[in-house]
Amino acid sequence: MDMFWGLLMSAILLGCTYTLVAVGFSLFFGVMDVVVFCCGDIAIFGSFAIMGAYVAMKSAGLFDSLPFVVCVALLLVIGAVFCAALGLVTYRFSIKPFQNSSELMPLLSTIAMGTIIKEILGLLFKPAVNTVSTALGGESALSVVSGRNPQGFPALLMPNGTVTERNITIIVITILILALLFLFLNRTKMGLSMQAISQNKELSLMTGINVSRIIIITFLIGGIMLAISGFLLGSYQKLMSFDDGAMYGAKGFSAAVVGGLRNTWGAVAGGMLLAFVEVFVSGYIPRGTSYASIVAFVVVVIFIVFKPEGIIGEKTAEKV
Amino acid sequence: MTGRNGRGLREKPMTIIFNIVIFGLAFLMLRLPYRYSLALVAIVVVALLRMERKGAVDALFSLYIRNRRVAAFSALICILAIPVLLSTFRYQSHIAVMALIYAMVCLGLNFQMGSTNMVNFAPAAFMGIGAYSMAVMTVKIGVSPWLGMLTAILTSAFAGLLIGLPTLRTKGYYLSLVTMALQLAFVQLIKNMPSIGGPNGISGVKAFSIGGFSLYKAYTFFGVKLTPHFFYLIFCAFALIILVYVAQRIYISRYGLALNNIAQDEIAANCLGVDVPRCKLFAFVIGGVYCGVGGALYASLTSFVGPNDFTFARSLVFICMVILGGMDNPIGVTVGAFLLTVITEKLRNFSDYAQLIYAVLLVVILIVRPSGLIPKRVRDYCAVFGRELLSPSRPDAGPADKD
Repeated sequence: MDMFWGLLMSAILLGCTYTLVAVGFSLFFGVMDVVVFCCGDIAIFGSFAIMGAYVAMKSAGLFDSLPFVVCVALLLVIGAVFCAALGLVTYRFSIKPFQNSSELMPLLSTIAMGTIIKEILGLLFKPAVNTVSTALGGESALSVVSGRNPQGFPALLMPNGTVTERNITIIVITILILALLFLFLNRTKMGLSMQAISQNKELSLMTGINVSRIIIITFLIGGIMLAISGFLLGSYQKLMSFDDGAMYGAKGFSAAVVGGLRNTWGAVAGGMLLAFVEVFVSGYIPRGTSYASIVAFVVVVIFIVFKPEGIIGEKTAEKV
Repeated sequence: MTGRNGRGLREKPMTIIFNIVIFGLAFLMLRLPYRYSLALVAIVVVALLRMERKGAVDALFSLYIRNRRVAAFSALICILAIPVLLSTFRYQSHIAVMALIYAMVCLGLNFQMGSTNMVNFAPAAFMGIGAYSMAVMTVKIGVSPWLGMLTAILTSAFAGLLIGLPTLRTKGYYLSLVTMALQLAFVQLIKNMPSIGGPNGISGVKAFSIGGFSLYKAYTFFGVKLTPHFFYLIFCAFALIILVYVAQRIYISRYGLALNNIAQDEIAANCLGVDVPRCKLFAFVIGGVYCGVGGALYASLTSFVGPNDFTFARSLVFICMVILGGMDNPIGVTVGAFLLTVITEKLRNFSDYAQLIYAVLLVVILIVRPSGLIPKRVRDYCAVFGRELLSPSRPDAGPADKD
């Protein structure tokens, strides 16, 4: 029974990371009607930005002079700024030019954008401090010179706590973010405008909503959210690789589709479902670890074929 | 419509000269050191864009169609001349073979992405299925490579059918997600199957041979030592010619029209009596066949298959090739595959940046010229079938994209 609880815990944790990426997908899809495929890469970029900033701050001695919490908050702000800027860049170069073309063009261009982000990370990221060995707690000098090697994520979340405490913190933060998002979407004027755009773009234009401004704000908020998810991802995984983004993108997209692309809460359900399938397959089926992703994808395909509108999501009839 | 009659005598030498220029440029791109070669690629791209704007590409196509016998014959000689000229340059021949194989895969992808507007993110997986079938048949079972190639075609066509089935109920993003899932799962699967080598792949794939005459072997003729690629290059060139011909025939056939119709409006296609499921499945199966042929030839060329050759990144490269060349135009796709292969291979010294270059290129093409270098054209049935127009009105042409 211990094994079950352990698996349940890691399933929820994995689900949290998928969920945040998937919520990003459904946020962007809601206002833009396009799949922004580089969400995963933006999240990874966020965690790398935090790592880089950590290294810079550590070498500048800020961690000694300022309280730890302030430093972590500062790192989060830096990551959020980077990701928000990246969200804007993505919007400007890979979504805005394709507003009037076929729906698959933005998909292709955002995939290309994701590759650009990934490659820039791989080429340019050169941490000054050897963070892998410190993250793993060992003293051995594992030299990391290029971003193409896995990078150790610094222990920023509950550095003195146990693993369980850290995990619970990750879950709590995820729930907190989702709650904030819920409040934002349903209680503020801006969030309501986002929902209005998601439901009917022309009508919201007519009612005087500044659609282009709301879109930009969505990308800012999405970027910030993805930065936080990158942070949580790093804290959970401890080791980050520059090319994790494509896999997280695919998983997040799958989760959003399984849940219902337009529905933010569907993304939560889809992310959890995928994570549970993956974790329990690798836990209970012999040699299942290597097949976990494959089984998850099979589940996605089954969903797409038999319930394309997702778990939560109304069926839409095709307009002619 | 210049010079329809009475210029036949001058048109024939013109056709031959154009062929020599085109294939000469291709040869120079392969042969020159990378700086000049890339400069040439840039010049050709700019020239193509200018010619396209001035209508010169159209004029060239109609010239070729009018003098098709001369054009085909001289093109054949030029194509045969390239391996002869490259016969002592091993690496350049290798690039040429790779370009031909990539062109095959891109033609396969074009059926889905270009004609039917279903973006398939798994061409590399289809190619991998073909290559692995070839490897398993020749190495693990030990049959002739020809049988291996047949198996490769059958398995990748079957994979196309399997992937095609869910697509009957889905479209757009959902369809893309299905193919993406296939691509990611394929790599995971072969990495985790020890029986087919796992992450180490399979080495020692046999080369093709015709009656004991191996196509991939260094022969010496009249004291000149040929590269091992010499006969393989000719073999692949013939295979590609057949595949381009078939693709072109399908393009002008009713199936090609039906696929375009589905791309434009599926409901309208349904109303017009197009058998939509059948056409979609057809696009996937024929695409699978093309990728399977490419994969089998690839496995035989490198004599090694491994999971890292058929990743998602490779699929993106194929997509980039198709978009660069021009969607839904077999000639354009071939040109795109050739140009991009040459660019990649000539930039070997900077292979760290290859992915970045592809991605930037893809974004730039999508923004600047989404229709590609040689976009698809209105089907000119009168020219193709050699019938004179009775009236100046346009023939029953396929739906043309005007964007």
